[in-house]
Amino acid sequence: MRLEHKRSRLVFHVKNLKLEWAIEPRYWRNPLIAVAGLFLLPLLIYSRPDYMTLLTTANIYAAIAIPLSWQMAGTGRLNFGPQFFVGIGGFTAALLSIHWGWGPWQTLGIVILTAACFGILISPLTVLAQGLYFSLITLVLPLIFLEITFVFADVFKGEAGLSGVINLINLGKIRITFLAACYISLVLMIIYLFIVDKIMRSRIGLYAAAINDDEVVAETCGLKIGRWKMICFVITSMMIAVGGWFFAHYYGTFAGTTYLPLNFMIKILLIVLIGGRGEIYGSIVGAYFVAFLEQALTALGPVHHIIFPLILLAMLFVLPEGLYGIYRRHKYREYYPTMRVRKRSI
Amino acid sequence: MLESIQFVIVYTFMLGSLYLLMSLGFSIICGVLRVFHMGYGMIFVVAVYVMWMLIKDFHFSVGWAILGVFVIQVLFTLIVVYYPIVRRYLDREELLLTSLILVSLAVEETVNFFYPTTAGVYIPTMILPGALKIGQASIPYQLLIASIVAIAATAIFAFFLLKVKTGLVIRAVSQNIEGALLMGASVERIYALAMILSVLPPTICILIIAPVWSITPYLGMDLMMTAILVSILGGLGNIRGSILASYIVGFLAAAVAFWVNPRLMGLATLILVATVLIFRPQGLARSESLW
Repeated sequence: MRLEHKRSRLVFHVKNLKLEWAIEPRYWRNPLIAVAGLFLLPLLIYSRPDYMTLLTTANIYAAIAIPLSWQMAGTGRLNFGPQFFVGIGGFTAALLSIHWGWGPWQTLGIVILTAACFGILISPLTVLAQGLYFSLITLVLPLIFLEITFVFADVFKGEAGLSGVINLINLGKIRITFLAACYISLVLMIIYLFIVDKIMRSRIGLYAAAINDDEVVAETCGLKIGRWKMICFVITSMMIAVGGWFFAHYYGTFAGTTYLPLNFMIKILLIVLIGGRGEIYGSIVGAYFVAFLEQALTALGPVHHIIFPLILLAMLFVLPEGLYGIYRRHKYREYYPTMRVRKRSI
Repeated sequence: MLESIQFVIVYTFMLGSLYLLMSLGFSIICGVLRVFHMGYGMIFVVAVYVMWMLIKDFHFSVGWAILGVFVIQVLFTLIVVYYPIVRRYLDREELLLTSLILVSLAVEETVNFFYPTTAGVYIPTMILPGALKIGQASIPYQLLIASIVAIAATAIFAFFLLKVKTGLVIRAVSQNIEGALLMGASVERIYALAMILSVLPPTICILIIAPVWSITPYLGMDLMMTAILVSILGGLGNIRGSILASYIVGFLAAAVAFWVNPRLMGLATLILVATVLIFRPQGLARSESLW
């Protein structure tokens, strides 16, 4: 291995391989640094299972927010009910695990399939329902699901929720188990990040940007917008459902009252907004910020319930571009679809 | 069978009128500002708990307290909701909706901090105690009074919108902003006025039904969901549509409760609204105008 300094970059020679690293900080947008940081973080707080749970939750929040960002760009619609698919994923996994004793890796396939079926069923709405109406329908869907969990309480166990779901992973020692679960969530998030990042830079990302910008123009250019919107909706729905699968197997319980009401949706939506709209990297920043802020404020006692929304509100006021916007302001703006919610006359 | 039909008719009238009063303010905002007021639920919470605060901690008499509630509601709407948030984010729906939800969360939690559910809030606005007995079912007189007030309030709003000049300007703004501006309407002031008008019906509603309603700091969410569903069904911001929709929802709720299963009431309404949204997204009436 040989290290060479060439003007503005370091060059590593490893046998026949040549790796370059820009020294100048403004070119440091290599996500590898951030990913390495994220992988090291759980090791630093290895001895604190509560922080470990916090990290895991933040990772899954991000894993829900990343596909949601893509969905918002790819369908040009603001989805107010991503938690519907979290519920689908969680309940499918929990029911299969409790009644048939399936393990997490067996339920995963069925969860994805179920989410795909519901996604296909609902996806025509992205074409039929315009602007605000799509947001309204997606707002109502999880609430219907929540009502159903109450009405059919013998199946979904209503208020108390299903318990006794087989754990995600069990390695004997509790700390090792927590660490492993944390890494599984992290890997899930990184996989999502990688997939969505690649897609957004590809042809399909360009389609998404075109649809988000102006559907009529995109259609005039020969793009089959209906097809691409539906594909985008179904795939992102499947990705979001896996978040529910993780929650069910991680906590061993799954209750509709935790994940289906508006509160959970607001958290996810805030992650997207505070991270920066349409920015998939921003989703991670937002997820960590929201999860850590929530945890940090609990030290203040009962007042934290009041302060939490106020801080988030202040953030929306001060940083309309989101946290990622601070970072992006200092470097050249690359082409990226921005999320814009259609405002048509209602 | 005859008796149950009687029940359903009375309950349709009562529930329909209550739903109408709950959703009237929401429809006005939808119709005039063309935005979705996701913080509508906090109007109910502010009304109940400001009333309780004035009576218990400031020792106001009931009459003065009611007056105080309306003054504080109007000030709160203008200073906290309209000027800093609604006017600022009128074109950016996602920020508007999220900020409104956050404000209403903060309000709910503040109320819960000072007056938790265990505080035993009781609003002394009982006009007529007792209940009307029809066969085995009974309806509190207070809810019947609320229904009559609902119809009266809707009639006053309709008169205001149709016969008073300011009402005409409000309708003009709701139909076409550019046109109204050209005719000399001050759109910003009309927006502020619409925000003020929109807090009146929910405040009246919750003050009348409070003695017979379960009062918690989180009561706003359920009432707002009802208001949203009725408004969606009625065509988002058309008051005529809202009147029709609230009685349809009232009938559905009453019929399901008596003939099927009371637990299915909420689900039936949600499914009805979702179905209508899919097949007739514009709702029962088109929302081209407020009336």
